[in-house]
Amino acid sequence: MSTDLVVSDLVAGYGDAQVLHGVSFTVREGEVCAILGPNGAGKTTLLRALSGMVKARGTITLGGAALTGRPPDAVARLGVAHVPEGRGTFMPLTVEENLRLGAYVRRGPSVEEDLERVHQYFPVLKKRLKQAAGSLSGGEQQMLALGRALMLRPRLLLLDEPSLGLAPLVTRELFRIVRTINEEERTTVVVVEQNAHLALGIAQQAHVLETGRIVLSGTAAQIQADEQVAQSYLGYRV
Amino acid sequence: MSTTKVQAKPVAVERRRRFDRRWAGLALLLAAAIYAPFQLVPFHVFQLTMVLVYAVALLGLNLLVGHAGQISLGHGAFFAVGAYAAAVLMDRWALPYPLTLPLAAAVAFVLGLALGVPAMRLRGLYLALVTLAIAIFLVPLLKRFEELTGGSMGLTLAKPQPPAWSGLAEDQWLYFLTLAIAVASFLLAASLLRSRVGRALHAVRDNETAAEVMGVRLSFYKTLAFAWSAMFAGAAGCVYTWVIGFVSPDSFTVNLSITLLAGLVVGGLGSLSGPVLGGLFVMFVPSISQDVNDAAPGVIFGLLIIAVMYVAPTGLAGLAGRLIKKIPRKE
Repeated sequence: MSTDLVVSDLVAGYGDAQVLHGVSFTVREGEVCAILGPNGAGKTTLLRALSGMVKARGTITLGGAALTGRPPDAVARLGVAHVPEGRGTFMPLTVEENLRLGAYVRRGPSVEEDLERVHQYFPVLKKRLKQAAGSLSGGEQQMLALGRALMLRPRLLLLDEPSLGLAPLVTRELFRIVRTINEEERTTVVVVEQNAHLALGIAQQAHVLETGRIVLSGTAAQIQADEQVAQSYLGYRV
Repeated sequence: MSTTKVQAKPVAVERRRRFDRRWAGLALLLAAAIYAPFQLVPFHVFQLTMVLVYAVALLGLNLLVGHAGQISLGHGAFFAVGAYAAAVLMDRWALPYPLTLPLAAAVAFVLGLALGVPAMRLRGLYLALVTLAIAIFLVPLLKRFEELTGGSMGLTLAKPQPPAWSGLAEDQWLYFLTLAIAVASFLLAASLLRSRVGRALHAVRDNETAAEVMGVRLSFYKTLAFAWSAMFAGAAGCVYTWVIGFVSPDSFTVNLSITLLAGLVVGGLGSLSGPVLGGLFVMFVPSISQDVNDAAPGVIFGLLIIAVMYVAPTGLAGLAGRLIKKIPRKE
């Protein structure tokens, strides 16, 4: 399996405040990579740098194509779908309009196919197509955000705290779907998550970020077994 | 689960029925609009014509403010540009009037594109201020280039005459011209908003960041929204010139821009009927209040805006929608 996403020496921040101080890692094609770490470690900034929302130095390549320095819309066109923290739902628009917006970079009959595909993953959305997205529950909105990202036909899916504000059962269902998507579509996934246990459950690789640097990397199993990580981030003792 | 399945069908039927009723309503409205000029005295026909002119201008403003979420206090300037473009073309180059419509719209479009550039970087109050400045400096500019614009005196033009085959009076002919242009503008805007482009505009309005990560180029759509809104304003301005037969700088002061924005908000932002209701408001409220007292129009206009915002925060269109829902239906 070839290497898909290569991040090296990534430096990013907001104005004078530098958040990431040289982050490097790779993700192989079709794999899920979990980014763990405490609040303020730079997890969200890392995803934003990947999708072009914050300016970054260093290099990011996806399947050999350079992403660094491109504006967000150009990065999206290269197949990077970012599900932002807080979901980025277009509240007044209907569920269907939200989904169609996800396929904004493409036109033609393939959009209808993808709608059908998203309906299969998320039957609940199909029932609510004509409903305003703002009237959905938190869990449904997160599913909408994920479905919308799928409409892009992404080769790289960036998920920022998908569990935020959701009931444990809903979260588990969501991660199950992410895993299915990853397995069926061979989409590479980078997931940032506070709920480390769930994230490690679907990931092959994991990195622990602390104050803008990667302090620990390994397979999901290794990270899960690491006592220090368990104590610091997983919220339970082994 | 099973209950939702059972309900699914009636919901679809209900939706189709609402859709049919909407088309029936529109057809009825159009029929009334066609019938009206044969029943009214010329002055009232003229007033209705002006309502349509304002409606087209507001339609453009609605694209920008209601659908793309930007703000413009300079919409009157594009209206003026369209009006003057038509006037100058007819006066200096003796162009036949139908040709002035696409040209005036095109001039306004290009100008809107140029002035849309600040919109890429500015938002909210800052954008409001820049667009306000455009409205302010237009009047002295028009007075300055006297040889082209006629200066403070303005330009007087012959109104388009009805062709003999139509058998219509001048006011009726102008009314039908305006009606046709208004209907075409509404169809154009409606199809624009239903398309992928319309969704992108809404996305920019509702959540810029999320729109951007989905591949929507913000700068492109913001500039385009300005250009389109200017284009509709320019077309409306051109028709204004045909209908009034006279343009002067003092018809297009800052006041016009503010009145247009107020009219749109009162009519209903982001709704398709909002511009028509706003046009009625802009046309009739000042002239009716004039009958009460010479000093009344400004006061009444202001009070009505405040009243409407209290009673119907979504504008008259929203209020009408709520009232229609209250009417009991016979099944």
